[in-house]
Amino acid sequence: MGYNAAVIGGKCITKSYGGRLVLDCISIRADRGELVAVVGPNGSGKTTLLRILAGLEEPDSGTVIRRGSIAMVFQENLLLPWRSLRDNIMLGLRYSGLSKREALRRVEWAARLLGIEEHLDKKPGEVSGGTARKAAIARMLVLNPDILLLDEPLAGLDVSSRLSLLQTLNSLRSDGRTIIFVDHNIADVASVADRVYLLTPAPARVSAVVELSGLPREERLRRLIKALEGHYGVDK
Amino acid sequence: MHYVYPGQIPGVISTLSFLVGEGATRIVSSIFVTLARTLTGFALALFVAVVLGYAYTLSSIARDTIRAVNTLVQSVSVLVWIIVFLMLFGVFSPLPSILVAAAVALPILLSSIVTGLETASQRLLELAVMLRAPRWRIYPDFLLPSLLPSLAGAARAALGAALRISVVAEAMGASGGIGYMIENYYSLAEPRGVFAWGLLLVVLMVVLDQLILARLEGWVKEWATMQR
Repeated sequence: MGYNAAVIGGKCITKSYGGRLVLDCISIRADRGELVAVVGPNGSGKTTLLRILAGLEEPDSGTVIRRGSIAMVFQENLLLPWRSLRDNIMLGLRYSGLSKREALRRVEWAARLLGIEEHLDKKPGEVSGGTARKAAIARMLVLNPDILLLDEPLAGLDVSSRLSLLQTLNSLRSDGRTIIFVDHNIADVASVADRVYLLTPAPARVSAVVELSGLPREERLRRLIKALEGHYGVDK
Repeated sequence: MHYVYPGQIPGVISTLSFLVGEGATRIVSSIFVTLARTLTGFALALFVAVVLGYAYTLSSIARDTIRAVNTLVQSVSVLVWIIVFLMLFGVFSPLPSILVAAAVALPILLSSIVTGLETASQRLLELAVMLRAPRWRIYPDFLLPSLLPSLAGAARAALGAALRISVVAEAMGASGGIGYMIENYYSLAEPRGVFAWGLLLVVLMVVLDQLILARLEGWVKEWATMQR
């Protein structure tokens, strides 16, 4: 499939650090309203790939496609501890020229979507890791980006938080947002992703692209596990 | 010139009773004068350090200049500062004590800010980029608050140094304050006065450090320490 419909993607992205090849001609794309997952071993360059797509780093070679505004949620929450969750979430809106009333309305919307509205007046140190994670996501959501990049958004969350966040990702996709996320949990990835890119250990290459869109739930997981078994040589 | 022989060093009771005899008004007003000069000098240094910290984030020329200025200020002896300021402003002006306190506090505060900026979390800067923060807001909104825990520790050291040095400036040329009182009693060959006011200075520093600065430092660290 071509890149004409892609709102975010990269063609043959290569990146080295100090002579060590990290990304070896990675091609990836996500169309409007797609939820794309990147799966690979630790240290395989998934975060580097997201950072290049976000524009935080330049690739050594290759082309990056960006058609729309981008927000990235980092692995660390990076909530400013001296601000309440409300002020943390509103921070980016202060630079957008939005009226305070509208900014607060957006914060309330994102907090409701992620189920953290009762914690808005608390400081990051006063809430659970899951709530802090959701606040970090809400902080980017209120910017109303066309493209959302999430680096391990589900890490450290309990079961109910994972489920609610997966539902949130689903509803954001339904709104037409394009999402690329990195995760390790196969069941979570299979439950929401339209397409999964499997990366090899560093230097990362795309070893398989698994299309899951439109498949029934149980088939999605089966297909992804099958691809992973072939990919990593796991015994059946 | 008067000399105090070991046998003339006053005992604790004698020193304390001398201090009591000085009267509350004199003690309080001297403490107030010294503290006012020290805190003014410290506030001036803090303001300059914060402004220079902002300039530090703007360009590599500013960074090189600020590093050079900091090294220069640090290299000048306190004695030189005191004499130069006394020559410039005279012995009756409070400015020499204030400016000496500032000159002593500034390198400590500026070094803390510069070190903090150089080791600032790259992720924090990237967060600012993702939130589309204008460049001029990154320092006040992201960097400076994140530096506060280390700056609070530096401020504690800087204020202590400023207080110790501003009394020297008072002793060398001022019309009031703890340093002036110590020098005054030294000139009068009254060791009890020297020890009494010296003791008062020690107590003042301990109270200031333990009851105010240490608590402030703890509070700031708790307030601004970044969680992952």
